[in-house]
Amino acid sequence: MELNKLFDEYYEKSLIQGGTTCCPGCGGPLFWRLALEALGANTILYGDGPCASCAIRSIKLPTFGIHFSFAADGATGIAAALRVKGREDITLVSSAGDGATGDISFGKVSAAAERNENMIQICVDNEAYMNTGIQKSGLTPYGAWTTTTPLGKETPKKEIPMILAQHKIPYVATASVAYPKDFQRKIAKAKDIKGFKYFHSVIPCPTGWRFDPAKSIEVIRLGVQTWAWPLYEIEGGILKLTMKPRQRPIEDYLKAQNRFRHLTDDQVKYIQAETDQKQERLLEQDGKRIIF
Amino acid sequence: MSVTRMMDGNEAAAWGAKLSRAEVIPAYPITPQTELISQIATLISEGIMDAEYIKVEGEHTAMAAAIGASVAGARVFTASASQGIAFMEEALWMPPGRRLPIVMCMVNRALAPIGGLRPDHNDALMQRDTGWIQLYCENSQEVIDTVIQSFKIGEDKRVYLPVAPCYDGYFVSATATPTTIPDQSEVDDFLPPYVHEMYNIMPGEHKPMDWPSDIAKARYEVEKAHERAKGIIEEVDKEFGKKFGRSYDGLIEEYNCDGAEAVLVTMGSMTGTARDVIDEMREKGKNIGLVKLKGFRPFPSEEFRELGKKYNAIAIVDRNNSYGSAGGGIVSMEVARALYALDDRPLLVNFQVGLGGSDVTMRQIEYMADETLEAVETGKVKSVVDWVELHDLGEVM
Repeated sequence: MELNKLFDEYYEKSLIQGGTTCCPGCGGPLFWRLALEALGANTILYGDGPCASCAIRSIKLPTFGIHFSFAADGATGIAAALRVKGREDITLVSSAGDGATGDISFGKVSAAAERNENMIQICVDNEAYMNTGIQKSGLTPYGAWTTTTPLGKETPKKEIPMILAQHKIPYVATASVAYPKDFQRKIAKAKDIKGFKYFHSVIPCPTGWRFDPAKSIEVIRLGVQTWAWPLYEIEGGILKLTMKPRQRPIEDYLKAQNRFRHLTDDQVKYIQAETDQKQERLLEQDGKRIIF
Repeated sequence: MSVTRMMDGNEAAAWGAKLSRAEVIPAYPITPQTELISQIATLISEGIMDAEYIKVEGEHTAMAAAIGASVAGARVFTASASQGIAFMEEALWMPPGRRLPIVMCMVNRALAPIGGLRPDHNDALMQRDTGWIQLYCENSQEVIDTVIQSFKIGEDKRVYLPVAPCYDGYFVSATATPTTIPDQSEVDDFLPPYVHEMYNIMPGEHKPMDWPSDIAKARYEVEKAHERAKGIIEEVDKEFGKKFGRSYDGLIEEYNCDGAEAVLVTMGSMTGTARDVIDEMREKGKNIGLVKLKGFRPFPSEEFRELGKKYNAIAIVDRNNSYGSAGGGIVSMEVARALYALDDRPLLVNFQVGLGGSDVTMRQIEYMADETLEAVETGKVKSVVDWVELHDLGEVM
């Protein structure tokens, strides 16, 4: 009873409704709960469809949902209308999944970054087209099983945050819903910066990653601890690691998910070597200007 | 004060957008529309026009940004052509369904691969099912006037639909003719600021949209809006005529039709040439008139039935083709459907000409008029469609 009351009180004040149409253990509703707490009510949300919109549907803010070939572009129009109306006090958020950001709308996100549109572009990354039934995207990691990569993906994940950083936009950040303080601090920071801000967060997907929904947070926490998912921000071109955990073996992260269960020892070694190299580069560049 | 000077269709469209006080213009360059958007960029840079010009990276984004800006309460103008219209097609379905009165000039140009940079109407006509109003213009003056009228038509709450003023690339877009630029304050009187009763996405003022949950009902609403638009297009044109002294007879214009037995129906720039040919033929005692089809969507079916009652033959000049349609052009198919409801139907003659932007010559128009009159005389139409350009008609008249 006490717990119910707690929930009711929270959701009465919250910008997201209680209850969700998402799968059990989905990181989407948690993502939006954390993001909205940091964004506040003076926000317009433009977002693409599928998984992201399962959660977007229950948001108590002006939202404009559209297909995932439309990432960032409709928000560009909204940003222009806000300038015309002198309403630049409003925070404009444009959200997209990994498939929209990395594949079908990659050019659109890149172009909006190049125009330095005044918006926070969010990538809610669950590493595949999950809503259509777990198909590979450009942001699916090497080796992962999906229904279109039944033998495991043969190529690595696109480094979208680093690519966006090279557009010389004012702010880029990676985040994980397993680290809410770090997550919310970055959203709050993005909100205060003018221009194009890129915020890329991993969310767990028990359905597509093949693990017990009860272990969602545990699994993505392992992503950060193994450096599969490093947390950093790039402000004014300067890289800053916001978390430098003692590295755990990548095997811990891979073993926790059945999408990686077919991997050979050599493949695991390869992933470990790639992760080590990434960690080394990041530590080397920490605090330095990394854009050309 | 209004000013009259030489101006091509693209400059006229830019002035139409300026006088209409378009607030957001997302656009991507494509021949033959480019001079339109560079003209807008110039007007803005010189401080003559006050608008947000978003230099987007492609036509799909141009239409998507137009949608975003329109939903957020801005008056939106854009323009495209040919491959660009094809590229944005996914987005073109959104404004009618969401009832957004965006105005986009379609500067007609043939599509690849069997065509070049010059005009035919397939690029706009292939969007006929999306729900956009399409108004075809004959010259620069009609372009500037139609752009202004389009905002008023689309933003009428009985309509709330996007409008495409269409005009032929080069023949209209790049051909300078004397054009009157209306006075800004008179346009301001004619066209009040944009307010959309269904949308307000500002935080704190936001109300969820009240959509019919039934898909058929929502589509029927769009259909009804098109039906209402017919009357509104005429109403707006009349009001425009009263204020500015120029009007275009709504969806169709009958030209030199008194006592005619048959009519040629043309669309776009070829109408200008046809006016001269028909005048000459009437002087020679040939009983044929001209009908200019301005409004293709909503389609003036009732008006065509009225024509069907008056004339023995209606000849459609299609500057387009629809592969596999058993031969007929797109306009002729629409007209055939409209005429079918008549008990006593006129002969329907169909010509395809000017495909891929080849010239529609005076000689060709004379040929089509003669063929039509011959059909009236014999009571027979020779073929479902006549590909005029496949005949050697001798010297250009």
